[in-house]
Amino acid sequence: MESTAAITHSTTRTESQHGKLWRIAAIARNAFREAVRDRVLYNLVLFVLLLTGASVFIGELSGGQERKVIVDLGLSAMLLFGVFIAIFVGVGLVYKEIERRTIYAVFSKPVGRGEFLVGKYLGLCLTLLVNVLVMGVGVSLALLYVSHGWDPLIPTIWPAVLLIYMELMLLTATALLFSSFSSPALSALLTFMVFIIGHFSADLKSLANSLGGSGARWLFTGLYYLLPNLSNYSFITPAAHGRAPSLGFVFATALYAFVYIAVILAAATLVFSRRNFK
Amino acid sequence: MNDRNRTIALGLVVVIGIACAALLVRRLDRLRPPDDPNAIDESLYVNGKTARRISLSFNGLAADWYWMRSLQYVGRKIINDNDVPLDNLGLLNLKLLAPLLDTATTLDPEFLDPYEYAAIVLPAINVNDAIRITKKGIDANPNAWRLYHHLGYIYWQQHDYQAASEIYGRGAQIEGAPPWMEAMKAKMAADGGSRATAREIYTRMYEQSADEKVRDMARRRLLQLDSLDQRESLRKFFAAYQARAGRCPSSWKEIEPIFRALRVAVDASGAPLDPSGAPYVLGPCEVELDPKSEIPAK
Repeated sequence: MESTAAITHSTTRTESQHGKLWRIAAIARNAFREAVRDRVLYNLVLFVLLLTGASVFIGELSGGQERKVIVDLGLSAMLLFGVFIAIFVGVGLVYKEIERRTIYAVFSKPVGRGEFLVGKYLGLCLTLLVNVLVMGVGVSLALLYVSHGWDPLIPTIWPAVLLIYMELMLLTATALLFSSFSSPALSALLTFMVFIIGHFSADLKSLANSLGGSGARWLFTGLYYLLPNLSNYSFITPAAHGRAPSLGFVFATALYAFVYIAVILAAATLVFSRRNFK
Repeated sequence: MNDRNRTIALGLVVVIGIACAALLVRRLDRLRPPDDPNAIDESLYVNGKTARRISLSFNGLAADWYWMRSLQYVGRKIINDNDVPLDNLGLLNLKLLAPLLDTATTLDPEFLDPYEYAAIVLPAINVNDAIRITKKGIDANPNAWRLYHHLGYIYWQQHDYQAASEIYGRGAQIEGAPPWMEAMKAKMAADGGSRATAREIYTRMYEQSADEKVRDMARRRLLQLDSLDQRESLRKFFAAYQARAGRCPSSWKEIEPIFRALRVAVDASGAPLDPSGAPYVLGPCEVELDPKSEIPAK
């Protein structure tokens, strides 16, 4: 009798887990569709124009360094456009639903607040993935064009593209966290600051080491470990010189991103669960 | 006004407005006082270290920008004097070139082209900057044997053959360095000031450089070395002619048959041609380069 109850309980739990995943997938799909409808992917047109222009004209200006410039320009544009999308679309993910009052319709159905946030997050991550993949293909094609054939830099840019994508996933989660409790403008500002400070992590550590007072030292050491270390995801310049990160390094950065995103989404869910929409 | 007319009217406003704006820009261009020619030499606002710090993940792109700016800076200065070889730009007041190349290499220490450019162009402007930037490149890229070749070239230009030999020797130890690096070490130590060493160094530079301007400079220097050999032979010939005839030849026509017998290439006036194909100019028992020749006089 007890085992039958356990099996029933387990089946119900599995079904519930399955339903949860299905709901998250449905919200993610909708968030992706909404981003496409909002013409977020139009930035790809600008990117293609930029790369085409660079491929044609940069050879004249760079003294024969067009391959390096194309990789630097392409991957930097990928990061910059991605950061803008992560910040400006990310901070509006929740806010728009509240503003348009569609959030009431969502929560009138059996959808948890955590599921809603994770679904929205994954939807934007999917948008960014499409964006980054198309841009990566664009950079590869530009390299093929300037090299008049296969270019050894093509395989080395993809690990850098993966690291850029991880950085964008981290930023999206950060934007979502801020937007769960503040206005879009403030959230965008705070996320942008995290992006900047995240690239100054090494300076925070050296600042902490150079300070005499133990209070300030603890503060900066704390900030160093608390804020996301985004400089680990900067592999654009080595990629332009044909250097790829080791598999161990990519795995460690992926693990760091996964842990950090889990922490941020948990914190965002915690804040969002307590929010009163009345 | 119906919809169609409104669309046409608005379209016309856009087209006419753009045309008027373009005309106004032309007028403003004429009214604006001319640009300060010294503005191009305005000091850089940020040094390399600060630029690297504030460039976030975009340091590679910023390095490319500084590199292109260096090329534009030199390009604008030599635009009126295209015949100046790349290694002889000392008179052009390129005071901003060293900071630009320094910043580019601080932003991206693995970017080898700015080091090469510094090694070729800077010695004529400030040799200490050239040595400092090339050494910085070696520190950041200890396995780049080409940088040792460039540093050796700077020392060779300064007639410091011992230092050049030492640097070539260090470069020769690097895995993948070509065997001629070891040969250059010996050549510098034994015969640094000879024309043969100069020919060797420029030949290697011509073969190894990916930069078209550096290759062109090396090609012109090789032509110059050939021309020096030719002029030396011609001077010996003039001395022999003077000893026999008691005077210098008054025109190339006078000695053209001898050149033809010796299978020396001459033009219609009988003047022998330098290695670039330009005729030599005859002086009193002296031979000079034609000012139009692409071979550098110095």
